[in-house]
Amino acid sequence: MREEIPKIKEETLSELQKVSSIEELQELKVRVMGKKGSLTSLLKQMGSLKPEERPQMGQIINDVRNDLEEAWEEKKIILEKEALNRRLDQERIDISLPGTPFPRGHQHPLSKVIEEIEDIFLGMGFMIAEGPEIETDYYNFEALNLPKDHPARDMQDTFFITEDILLRTQTSPVQVRTMEKIAPQLPVKIIAPGKVFRNDDDATHSPMFHQVEGLLVDKGVRMSDLKGLLLYFSRQMFGESREIRLRPSFFPFTEPSAEVDVSCMLCGGNGCRICKYTGWIEILGSGMVHPRVLEMGGYNPKEVTGFAFGIGVERIAMLKYGIEDMRLLFDNDLRFLEQF
Amino acid sequence: MRVSMKWLREYIGINLGAEELAEVLTKGGIEVEGVEYLNKGFKDVYIGEVKEITSHPQADNLQICTVDTGSQEVTLVSGATNMLLGDRVPVAVPGTILPGGKVIEPAEFRGVLSQGMLCSDKELEIEGVGLDRSRGGILILNSDAPVGTRLEDYLGLDDWVLELELYPNRPDCLAMVNVAREVGTLLGIRPKVSKWAQGETPTWPQAQQKVEIDNPDLSLRYAALLVDNVKIMPSPLWMQNKLRAAGVRPINNIVDITNYCMLEMGQPLHAFDRDKLTGTVRVRLAKENEQIVTLDGMERKLDPDTLVITDDNGPVAIAGVMGGLDSEVTETTQRILFESAHFLGSSVRRTSRRLGLRSEASNRFEKGVNPHWAVSTLGRVAELLVELRAGEPVSFTEKVNNLPEAITIDVYLPKVNYILGTDYTEQEVRKVFDNLDFSYKEKSLGVLAVEIPSYRQDLKIEEDLIEEIARVIGYDRIPTTLAHGSQTQGRRTPEQAFRIKLRRSLIGAGMNEVLSYSFVKKEIDEIWGSKGGGIALLNPLREELGTMRTSLLPGLLEIAARNTSRRNTDLLLFEIGNVYLPKELPLRELPEEISKIAGIAQGGSKRHWHIPQVKHDFFYVKGILTEIAKESGVELEYRRTSNKKYDELLHPGRSAEIFLNDEYLGFIGEIYPQLDAELGLQRPIIFELDFALMFKHSSLEIIAKSYPRFPAIQRDLAVVVPEEIPAEGIKKRVYELGGDLLKEVEIFDVYQGESIPAGHKSLALTMRYQSGERTLKDEEVNTFNSNILAGIQQEFKAEWRK
Repeated sequence: MREEIPKIKEETLSELQKVSSIEELQELKVRVMGKKGSLTSLLKQMGSLKPEERPQMGQIINDVRNDLEEAWEEKKIILEKEALNRRLDQERIDISLPGTPFPRGHQHPLSKVIEEIEDIFLGMGFMIAEGPEIETDYYNFEALNLPKDHPARDMQDTFFITEDILLRTQTSPVQVRTMEKIAPQLPVKIIAPGKVFRNDDDATHSPMFHQVEGLLVDKGVRMSDLKGLLLYFSRQMFGESREIRLRPSFFPFTEPSAEVDVSCMLCGGNGCRICKYTGWIEILGSGMVHPRVLEMGGYNPKEVTGFAFGIGVERIAMLKYGIEDMRLLFDNDLRFLEQF
Repeated sequence: MRVSMKWLREYIGINLGAEELAEVLTKGGIEVEGVEYLNKGFKDVYIGEVKEITSHPQADNLQICTVDTGSQEVTLVSGATNMLLGDRVPVAVPGTILPGGKVIEPAEFRGVLSQGMLCSDKELEIEGVGLDRSRGGILILNSDAPVGTRLEDYLGLDDWVLELELYPNRPDCLAMVNVAREVGTLLGIRPKVSKWAQGETPTWPQAQQKVEIDNPDLSLRYAALLVDNVKIMPSPLWMQNKLRAAGVRPINNIVDITNYCMLEMGQPLHAFDRDKLTGTVRVRLAKENEQIVTLDGMERKLDPDTLVITDDNGPVAIAGVMGGLDSEVTETTQRILFESAHFLGSSVRRTSRRLGLRSEASNRFEKGVNPHWAVSTLGRVAELLVELRAGEPVSFTEKVNNLPEAITIDVYLPKVNYILGTDYTEQEVRKVFDNLDFSYKEKSLGVLAVEIPSYRQDLKIEEDLIEEIARVIGYDRIPTTLAHGSQTQGRRTPEQAFRIKLRRSLIGAGMNEVLSYSFVKKEIDEIWGSKGGGIALLNPLREELGTMRTSLLPGLLEIAARNTSRRNTDLLLFEIGNVYLPKELPLRELPEEISKIAGIAQGGSKRHWHIPQVKHDFFYVKGILTEIAKESGVELEYRRTSNKKYDELLHPGRSAEIFLNDEYLGFIGEIYPQLDAELGLQRPIIFELDFALMFKHSSLEIIAKSYPRFPAIQRDLAVVVPEEIPAEGIKKRVYELGGDLLKEVEIFDVYQGESIPAGHKSLALTMRYQSGERTLKDEEVNTFNSNILAGIQQEFKAEWRK
């Protein structure tokens, strides 16, 4: 018996070397230390020993048992680690494969730009006003100081429905409608985005396009305030380093009137193809509200002044997104839309 | 307006180049659209005289010419056949450069050496020059063209032209003298203009000719200068060159004088052959059924809104638009009546529109001609007639009504700075009026009374002068300030906020926003929108864009079809926009503009290695609508379509009308079989909903509820029912039968096929029970489930599928 113990130990340890899975390990453990295991059966034979030999033998068996337990534990850790590594290996994926698509739509660039312009002016305390797209001659022209047969009406080719009802050619009628509604309260501080229509169709004109009108009427509004506001807007829209320049212009409903150029966002004002080598890009028309228009809106031009401006949304979108052909905006090709 | 720099320099000494002047004008408010050099790039082309022409011995289609260029005789081979002995022709000799950069070299043509070439007007890129027989061949110049002179100098092509894009408020700049004044104002130089351009009027003996104005409201003035001993011939080269630079084709001395004076003074003129006029010259409205053949040879029907010039026999000209052919000046004309008149712009505008006839004259009348210069301009005409020996001015007659009086505008200096936000001194402001050459005097402290010259009809109120001050000093001088008025807070209205939210939800659900035209083809709008209800445009761009839409679908379908044809077949598109519903037709008041949301879905999700393709079918779109309804705080009800309108538009089995609180909100459905193919589509699902109704019922407020602490118990139940029973009905009934503790019922499977009897379907439901006060026991839930089963077995002939 005394000889068998080291033999069991050695055999077990050498078998342990060959074990390659947790299951085999368990099996070996049962074979040696289970109820019918080789070591257990030695313990059972203890009864046949002399009483004085028993403690010593017990001690030896226990030592072997502890040694084996320790070896098992070590082996187990190794095997578990191996198993885990195998699993990690098996579960390896091709991370270069594309991810699961998440369906997400896209906002039309024009509505995107309108929303952006709205947000800039909301931040400056403007409200958003709306008006009808089918308008009367009165609001679209006459109330804007453009009487019938005024040659300035030629600047805008109008779609007519009847002699007095037409598709608005500009968002400016919302100016008068809003003043009529608010007068005599102050201030009138609105922007009015929307669709406008002109009978024109080529690479730079669409029969339907979008404008954002702006109007501020209050006591003591100055043209320099208009310049300040538009500088702020241009920097918000096109970047902090932009500058603006005002050029004299003509609109029947503003006096003085100004065309506003922003320093080219592509070349920074040095001159490039986009700004036609001038360094400046025209982005909007503006001016001080004509006294007649204030009057027709219900305000006394001796007491209040105001400024107004009209931003061409398509133009801003084209500049902002580098779109060279306006027709792309109304073609609605998915490959175009998905970029926004 | 085309402004020749050479011509301009006759009035004002400027050192600036054309480009620099263009910049000054544009910054001053006169936009220069383009700057053009008249010589398009040829160099060293000389005028030669054809001395000899022989046929090429080896080629029938070539001619050999000997040409004297002044300094030498050269032999030139040409394919053209239009030149005759003695002709003056443009010669390019070796070293000459042609437009485009081509350098001329000697070349051999079938054994004959050509020492250069004869040029056509096309090769030189010049127009409107030479004798009529130049067309299609070599340019043949007038017989007095000096041999040996550079062609460029002869034609005055060493000149720049500024193309002015004038705003409607500056018709004064349609006259060279006023352009010179404008340039002078901006540069601070006083131009030299003739006495006529300062309003001086000549005097002539009173003519026997009678002139009458029947409609003084339409014609302020009619002046006639009578000229005898007229000799029709070409005008001198200097005049021709200036006309050409201005874009006007020279005709003969008389016509050229009328055009030249119009360009110089802005006053349109007309020359009648006086021997072809009978009796009184009269300005009046045309009578019904009158007609006239105009100078362009067209017969024009006149109506009682058309202002005409008549003699005793009827109309001889359409006032301010075009003269009549019968009284045209011809080679044999001996006596002329020059008309210098003023016609109301709006009347000319209407007539020229109606006739589709626009001329330099009508353009000027429409924009506004200075009535004070009518007679002064005739003074200039007379001067030129004498200078050119074209005729002898003999007498004059005129009818004149009340001309507008000269106006004076008070400018209050503090107001100038108040409106502009500037700090201009009185001296600066006075300097502006000095530069403008306006007279002014100090009326009271800080108030200048400024006299407005007759040629500046655009200046009517103080603000107009404030703009003058601002632009002459320069808009750059206006500072940048922030408005110091009332503080306000900007906010979207609830409706605006809802529209944005809805758009975001749809985009979040994978839909792409599109934007289509508000006008569509009538026939297509009638199919999808309201029959006979679309508002028609009087003057559509194209017939297909002639009706204001009553539905968003025509636009969406077109966009979807276009995409499909380009192989973008997997689509999820939506649009938010207005449709236009008239209260009555024809329109007497503004129509209702109703905001709609519409969408179209087709195909499916993109094919992917990892997940199966999801079809964009009815349920996919319904899912999107359910999601946006949930976000809008509304619940949608789907009812099978009963509306005849959808017959053969929508698949009857795959479409529904959508209701919101029992109000009709819109519809959803698959397009009727075969109609999809006709439209260029592949079984798309479409929907259209009323935005306003959605907004009316929406509630964007969120009130959070807490969740129960006790666990829920979940039970599944599968039943077999006849297939025509709607799942939603069973679901609702289950919910009612389940009692208060049943919190949620969902359908998680629908199955038809093997093991299910024909005409039936299997529905699998999952029920979630929960109490807020205690943990439920299995037994009580089992009881609830039995009740449910018993109930629906009875009601729907359902069978329990174990």
